[in-house]
Amino acid sequence: MPRGAGRTSDWSAEVDSRLGLQLSANLTPRLSSVVQVVTEQQYDGQFRPAIEWANINFDVTPDLSLRVGRVILPVFMNSEYRKVGYATPWIRPPLEVYRTIPVSSADGVDVSYRSRIASVTNTLRATYGQSDATFPYIDATMDRATAEARAREGLTISNTVEQGSISLFAAYSHYRLSIEDFNPLFDAFRLFGPEGDAIADRYNVDGKTFEAISLGARYDPGNWFVMGEWTQTGSRTFLADNRGWYISGGYRLGAFTPYLTYASQRILSKTSTPGLSQPGSEPLDAMLNSMLQGQPQQESVSIGVRWDFSSNMAVKAQFDHMNHEGGSRGYLVNSQPGYEPGGSVNLFSLALDFVF
Amino acid sequence: MPSRLTKIGCILLVGLASSLALADAVVVVSAQSPVSTLTRSELADIYLGRTNRFHGGQPAMPVDQRENSPAYVAFYRNYLGQTPAQIKMHWSRLIFTGRGQPPRSLADHQAMADFVAGQATAIGYLDDAYVDERLRVVAID
Repeated sequence: MPRGAGRTSDWSAEVDSRLGLQLSANLTPRLSSVVQVVTEQQYDGQFRPAIEWANINFDVTPDLSLRVGRVILPVFMNSEYRKVGYATPWIRPPLEVYRTIPVSSADGVDVSYRSRIASVTNTLRATYGQSDATFPYIDATMDRATAEARAREGLTISNTVEQGSISLFAAYSHYRLSIEDFNPLFDAFRLFGPEGDAIADRYNVDGKTFEAISLGARYDPGNWFVMGEWTQTGSRTFLADNRGWYISGGYRLGAFTPYLTYASQRILSKTSTPGLSQPGSEPLDAMLNSMLQGQPQQESVSIGVRWDFSSNMAVKAQFDHMNHEGGSRGYLVNSQPGYEPGGSVNLFSLALDFVF
Repeated sequence: MPSRLTKIGCILLVGLASSLALADAVVVVSAQSPVSTLTRSELADIYLGRTNRFHGGQPAMPVDQRENSPAYVAFYRNYLGQTPAQIKMHWSRLIFTGRGQPPRSLADHQAMADFVAGQATAIGYLDDAYVDERLRVVAID
């Protein structure tokens, strides 16, 4: 029996709940260590602790630091603290940007260099490493399935410029992505000879280059804020090339911060292919097309309010109206038989965030 | 003697100007510190952990009063234009990414005066009634 929030008007307290625990140790004045464990609901409905951060930081100088271990990839402006609800105005970062990249952390090294010119602070970061991630998808028979993505030779370079109330961000990411779970499908295509090989080479995910560029800006003079991000991803795989962006603004009225966000994410690559169109290839063609079509494409308007009712606690309420285009299911992962993709979905969320 | 009087006069004048504009908290360093003026954005960068030096290159160690104390609230409102919740949000971003720790926190105005007086690199804020000859009020442009 299918369960969980999403398809109905039932409420769920599980979906966005998470508990993070962080241990920091200052081993020497220049050497420190951070371990952060976050427990939240996974794609399969289970709550499991996952290690977000586990690294050793060495300050070569006060402005140059080196980390070794598990680090968050600084792909987007709010990536590093996206799991710390208290640190952002929203209930969750806009999915139209933050879900366009399947990998969020890496096991490797990270170098951060901060410099100051007059009143401008510049922080340049480079991260190199690898990671594995399990993600859910809807397979050709409309069942929920999971696959394992492996990212190798991952490089992310990001730069942040801050001056007073203004913050500008840019990042470039590049890695080799493999999802072996889909290899059998493409092996089947190869049985059809050179034409099948061409399709397999175009769409398989077997050590293929995945690239992403993102830009962000924030202006926060105190009483109000506005921020936006833009990202574009690309690869020669069945995974769609996406362009996502959002703009979000809020006004602070005492302890209340009402905010409004518009976000949009579109697929730039083709969402269908004629496939082989050979006798006997119809099931394969259909499966490939359903994979191309099954990828998220949505726009949303969110309105919400954050209430800082105590010195380390905040309550947030958010209403999202999402439009799914081109038969997309958006980012819904709990769709049920009879659900028609496309159309619009409303979501109301409440969150309590605390730090201590 | 006249120079001493002038100095006190200057402090009074600066103190008066600050309290007119900002009420409640003045920014202070040790009398041994070479720092006498800061821009508002330099002060913000020091208190938000974006730099650990004054513009002259000397190390800067910001010190806070107790979170949500009247002096704390007044300082962040008047000089940085931010509420305690915004400051908490700012530090939660840095703490949870291992990229910084908030300034050390002291119990009251007297503790602040004593601490800053004894540390040439320290910078703090307090009610101008607690300013004595061991401290220098920093003019904020």
